[in-house]
Amino acid sequence: MKIVFVLALLIGFAGTLAGAHYVPGLEHTRLPSQTAVVANGGRAEEFVIRLPIDRIAATNGESGGLRSLGASAMALPSQFAAEPLLVEHFKVRDSAGNVIGVAARHWDGTADSTATWSVLIPSRGALVMSANGEKRDALDTELRSRGYSAGRSWNGDARVSMTQDGGGVVNTGTGEFEGLIGIYTETWTVAAVDEDGRVSGTIELATVTSRL
Amino acid sequence: MRYLFVAIIGLVFGAAAAGAIVYFNPLLDKSATMPAATDRVLRYSLPGQVLDFAVGEDAQLFGQDAGDDALWEDTIHRAAVLGLVLNDGSNQPVAVASRLLTTSPRSDLLLSGMLVSDDWLVTIPNEGTFYVHADSNVWPFLKEKLVPVWYLDRPWIGPAEYWPTVGPSADDTANVVGLTGAFRGSAGSAVEHYEVTSLDPARDAALANGELYLNLPGPRVAAQ
Repeated sequence: MKIVFVLALLIGFAGTLAGAHYVPGLEHTRLPSQTAVVANGGRAEEFVIRLPIDRIAATNGESGGLRSLGASAMALPSQFAAEPLLVEHFKVRDSAGNVIGVAARHWDGTADSTATWSVLIPSRGALVMSANGEKRDALDTELRSRGYSAGRSWNGDARVSMTQDGGGVVNTGTGEFEGLIGIYTETWTVAAVDEDGRVSGTIELATVTSRL
Repeated sequence: MRYLFVAIIGLVFGAAAAGAIVYFNPLLDKSATMPAATDRVLRYSLPGQVLDFAVGEDAQLFGQDAGDDALWEDTIHRAAVLGLVLNDGSNQPVAVASRLLTTSPRSDLLLSGMLVSDDWLVTIPNEGTFYVHADSNVWPFLKEKLVPVWYLDRPWIGPAEYWPTVGPSADDTANVVGLTGAFRGSAGSAVEHYEVTSLDPARDAALANGELYLNLPGPRVAAQ
């Protein structure tokens, strides 16, 4: 009986320490990466955001236009209300439509207009990208040129490229994305806007990356 | 039957002894040290300067309602998205930050603590945007304050100060990469500090003040 007690004691002791070491349950669910090899040996991967369902929040500054509507509003302090600044948070999907991560997009319209993305895929790491971004109200302007007017619903097919000069760059990354260089393009496709200004459509982030 | 009873008692005693070792393990209290010099300090208070907080269903430290913005999908249910306004030294808003957080699979309750991967995207209007990647050890806060006060109804004794940044750099600092504007092309380090001033589960209130000590070498960042 003493042997049983000592054996059980050791198993309990070792099992608990092993559990503490490996902390079970913290591994993130991973879906197969939807990547393709491109001609130069790099890797192409597209991330998709479906609007409005994947929009988590957007700041409510004057420069947000339609993009500030239809989501949880992030109320900026009065000092920032007139600044050309738009911060948006999204869920991110792979090209097969599965939610795989979250993302933040910062648009800063002071001096040169810039757009930066931080995309976090818990099972893979973070990908950080930046570009010369769109001009202020680019989406609203494009939709108005196609007949949209505030307060009325609109249906159509508007595509707006949000990256200038042919695309942006992959700046840095962590985890699986560490040490990658590459380029990306960002395209918004709007299919509808409802009476409240809520945009329905997709954002496509098309990346081509390779190892340093 | 008697053997089974003895085995269960042995397992419980063994697990309790190991649990005590984990609980008192000094390796898990690893934290950053206050930086000797810094280019800039950006400050925030919680919940006052929170713009938005979306949290995964398995990342709700305070047992709060995840609300309409819940990150419920299996792939992100241990993640959180936090929008913050950051103040400068004179306590005026100067920046907006988005923090994407998730539990780190590199957590190890024998050697390194409970790690959270914390990715900041910070924009300072008229200056530019930079990115911070930090590994933060939340174990000291969990052990000393959150679990005893929030879940075991022990009285709050505070304030409590924490320096959670433990990497990923070898000197236990976070990596900073300048992305646009005046920060473009620069690289540096950062350390976070926060002070929990109140935890009151009865009123569902948690108050804290935080600081991000930022070092971006070169003339690109003006000292505050």
